[in-house]
Amino acid sequence: MNRDTLDVDVLIVGGGPAGLSAALRLAQLQKQRGGDPVSVAVLEKARDAGAHILSGAILDPSALHELVPDFRQKGAPLVADVRRDRVYFFTEKNSLRFPVVPPPLRNHGNFIISLNAFVKWLAGSVEAEGIDVFAGFAGRDVLIEGDRVIGVRTGDRGVDKHGERKAAFEPGVDIRAKVTIFCDGVRGNLTKELLRRFQLGRGRQPEQFAIGIKELWEVQPDRVEAGTVIHSMGYPLRHDEFGGGFIYAMPEGRLSVGFVAGLDYQDPLFDPHMAFNRFKKHPFVAKLIDGGQMIRYGAKALPEGGWNTIPRPYMNGALIAGDAASFLNSMRLKGIHLAMRTGMLAAESAFDAVRSGDTSAAGLASYQEKIETSGVKTELYPVRNVHQAFGYGLFAGLAFAGVNLLTRGRWPEDLHGHPGHERMKTLTWYYGSKPASLAPSHALSADRRLTFDKLTNVHYSGTAHDEDQPSHLLVHTEVCGSICGAEYGHPCTRFCPANVYEIVHETTSGPRLQINASNCVHCKTCDIMDPYAVITWVPPEGGGGPQYNGM
Amino acid sequence: MILVIAEHRQGELNRATWETVVAAQLLAERLGGLPVNVAVPGATGSAAQELAAAGIGDVVTLVDPALEAYTPDAYVMALTGVVASMSPRFVVLPHTYQARDFVPALAARLNKPLITDVTAIAGTADAPTFLRPMFQGKLAAQVRPMGEPPCFVTFQLGAFRADQVKKSSTQSSVTNLAVTIARSAIRQVPEVPFQEAQRAVDLSQAARIVAVGRGIKSKEQLPVAESLAKALGAELAASRPICDSGWLPMERQIGSSGQTVAPKLYLALGISGAIQHLVGMKGSRTIVAINKDADAPIFEVADYGIVGDLFEIVPAIVAELEKK
Repeated sequence: MNRDTLDVDVLIVGGGPAGLSAALRLAQLQKQRGGDPVSVAVLEKARDAGAHILSGAILDPSALHELVPDFRQKGAPLVADVRRDRVYFFTEKNSLRFPVVPPPLRNHGNFIISLNAFVKWLAGSVEAEGIDVFAGFAGRDVLIEGDRVIGVRTGDRGVDKHGERKAAFEPGVDIRAKVTIFCDGVRGNLTKELLRRFQLGRGRQPEQFAIGIKELWEVQPDRVEAGTVIHSMGYPLRHDEFGGGFIYAMPEGRLSVGFVAGLDYQDPLFDPHMAFNRFKKHPFVAKLIDGGQMIRYGAKALPEGGWNTIPRPYMNGALIAGDAASFLNSMRLKGIHLAMRTGMLAAESAFDAVRSGDTSAAGLASYQEKIETSGVKTELYPVRNVHQAFGYGLFAGLAFAGVNLLTRGRWPEDLHGHPGHERMKTLTWYYGSKPASLAPSHALSADRRLTFDKLTNVHYSGTAHDEDQPSHLLVHTEVCGSICGAEYGHPCTRFCPANVYEIVHETTSGPRLQINASNCVHCKTCDIMDPYAVITWVPPEGGGGPQYNGM
Repeated sequence: MILVIAEHRQGELNRATWETVVAAQLLAERLGGLPVNVAVPGATGSAAQELAAAGIGDVVTLVDPALEAYTPDAYVMALTGVVASMSPRFVVLPHTYQARDFVPALAARLNKPLITDVTAIAGTADAPTFLRPMFQGKLAAQVRPMGEPPCFVTFQLGAFRADQVKKSSTQSSVTNLAVTIARSAIRQVPEVPFQEAQRAVDLSQAARIVAVGRGIKSKEQLPVAESLAKALGAELAASRPICDSGWLPMERQIGSSGQTVAPKLYLALGISGAIQHLVGMKGSRTIVAINKDADAPIFEVADYGIVGDLFEIVPAIVAELEKK
C-alpha cells in the first residue's frame, strides 16, 4: 500500500492543554533562539480542537502566566474568578458544611473555565504561530524502529464495518519525527502501547483512575452566585468508594454539575452514572438545578494515582506529558496546569535534543530533571500517598490527608495502590450469593427532569461516528456468556456512561454482547475498569466522537 | 426584494429549493409584501423553467461555463456580483451541504451577516427575527441581523413545507445574466460527483410510516407490523435496535443515525422513544404510539397513545381496516 509520509522535527500527539502548550513553547523557543526552524505538527483526533476535552474545570493559572504572560489581553476565555469555596459532607438527606475549607481545596486566585473554550483559544494561538494542528486525525499506531520511537501512523479512513475498503478509502499517513511528544490524555491508546513496549512503568506503582461525569445546566441566575465552587463527599458513595460531586457556578445561571467516582470500587453492580443521578437528586443539589435545563453531557476518565504512578516519561525519540503520564494532583482536583507545565518542559527538552542532534533517551533525559526541579515535583511529591490512603476507606483517607498536611508529606513508608479493576469483587463475594437482579446498586429510574437515562444523556454529548466502520472497542476474548455474567454480571453495561455495552437477550439464543460503538464518548473507562482486562479502546475514524462545545 | 438561490444538480431542481421558496414567501409577507426573485446558477436545464412556471417571481439564470460543475470559488464570484447588482434585502438558501460549503465565504466576501439552519421566522416587519436551534435542538435562539442589507439566511431542511408554495398562473420571466468569473482564481477542480449506493427506500417521501421497536421481540414477529403497513399503504421502518440486530435493513432506520422523516401519519409500535429516535420523527403530522409501558417517553410526543400489547392491538386495527 502506498502511504503518504510526512517528516517533522517534533510531532505532538494530542491537542489538549499539554500538547498545545508544548507546541506554543516550541514556537517561543524558536523565536528566542533563532537558527534553522524546528518543524512542528500537532495531531488531534477531534474534528475541532477542544471537542473531545472534558473537565470541571478550575484552572490554576501558574503555568499559563509563564506560557502567555499577557493572557488577559490575548482574550483567554476565563469564565469567572473563584470567589468562594464550599465543601460539604452529604448524607442521604442532609448536607453538612465543612466549617473550614481544607487548604488543598482553596481556590482563591484560580478561575472557573470551560476547558473546551480554553483549548480552542490555545489552539488558535498555536495556529497563529504557523504550527499546523491536524484536527480530525487520530494517532492509531506508534512507529517503532528497533528500540526507538520514530513517529506515529494515523488511522485509515473509509473502512467499512467488516474491515473492507469503501470507495473513499484513504490509508493513514506515517508522520515521522525526530522527537514525538505523546499527549494523548488519560489512558491514551498510544501511551498504553509505549508503557507495554518499553516497560515504562517498571518500578513504579500501578496507575489509578476515576471517571468524571458532567452536565452543563442552565438555571435561574439567582440560584448560585457566579464564582462559587462547591465540592461534596459522602453520599451517594459508600465509605469504601472514592469520589465526590462538584458544582461550579458561572455567570448567567450556567452550572457545571459533575461527579467523580474512583475506578477502584468493589461492588460489581456499582454504576457511576447512577451515582451521578443520585447526587443530582440529593436535596442540596436538586434545589439548585430544579426547573433548569440540562444542555450538555460528557464523561471522561482521569488519572488519580499521583507522583508514584508516573511512568518514566522519556525514551528514545519520545516524551510523554500531561494526563497520559498521570500528571494530575488528585488532592487539589487539578491537572490542567500540570498538563501545560509538563507540555512546556517536554517542549524544552525536545527542542534542545533536536538542536544538539541527540534525540535518544539520554538526550531527552533532561525532561525528567526538569520535572524534578520544577514545581511539578514540589506539588506532587508531598501528596504522593494521599490517593492510595483513600484505598483504605473515606475516613482513613481523610485522616491521612490531614496528617499528611501537618507532616508536609513525610511518612515512613510509601503506601501502595492496586490496579483498580482488580479490586472489583465477584457477585457472590460481594453479596454473599448471586443477586436475583443485575440492576445497578441504588437503581433509580430517570425522572427526565433532574435525572436522565444514559441514552438520553449520550444524545446531549453530541457524539457522532460514521456508523459504517469497524468497532473501535476491541474485545480480545469474549467472556460475557462464559464467565463474566456469572462472576461479575456484565459490569461493562454499568461502568460505561454512554450505553455502549449492552447484553441483548434474544428469545432464540442466549445473551449476546452488543457493542454500540457509535455511542462512545471516548472516556476510556472500559479500557481501565473491565475486570478481565480484555477491552482495548482504539481511536475510531478521525473526527468521530463527542462534541463538548461549552463544556 | 428577497432573492432565493436555487440548488440543482445538472438542471434537476433540489426539492429543498421549494421549501426555501416557501420560507421566502413567508418572510416577504412579514416584510409587507416584498417581491421574491430566484437566481439559478449554472447549466439550468429544466430548473429555471420549472421555477418560472410556478410564477413566484422573476427568475435569473447565471450563465458561464465555469458554473456548469459546482465549485465554491466560482459560485462565490458569480453570486458576489449578482447580489451586489440586484441589492436584495435577504438572500435565502436551503441549508444543504452545498450551501454550507459556499455561503459562509460569500457572506464574508460581502461582509454581510449570515444566519444558518433557520427553522422559523418571527419578529416585525421592521425587525424580523430568525429561530435557529442550539445545543442539539434543546434551545432555540432568536437571531436578529444587524447592519446594512443584504442578510444571508439558510433554512433547515424540512422546516417549511414544499407543498405550500403560493403559485400564480402567470408565468414569470426568465432573464439570462452574464457574470464575470476569473477562471484562474478558481482553486478547486471538480471531480465526477461521488455516487453513493442508491437508497432502496426513501422514507422521507413516505406519507405514512409504521415503525417498530424492541417491543416487537423477535424477527419472526415482524409480519404483525408488515400486515399493518400493508393495510395502511405505509412504509415499514424501525428504531435502531431492530436494524442493529439485522431484522430490518439499515436504510429503514429512523433517528439520529438513520433517516429523518415527517410523514402525515407515524405509527410507533413498541418503540420506547429514546431521544435519538424522536429527533428523526417528531416532525410527523400525526403520531400514534402503541406501547406496554405507560411511562415510555414516546407518549410525550404522541398525538394518540394506546397503552397495551401491540400483538393484541395491531391485529384488531388491521381487521378493522380490512372491513372497509
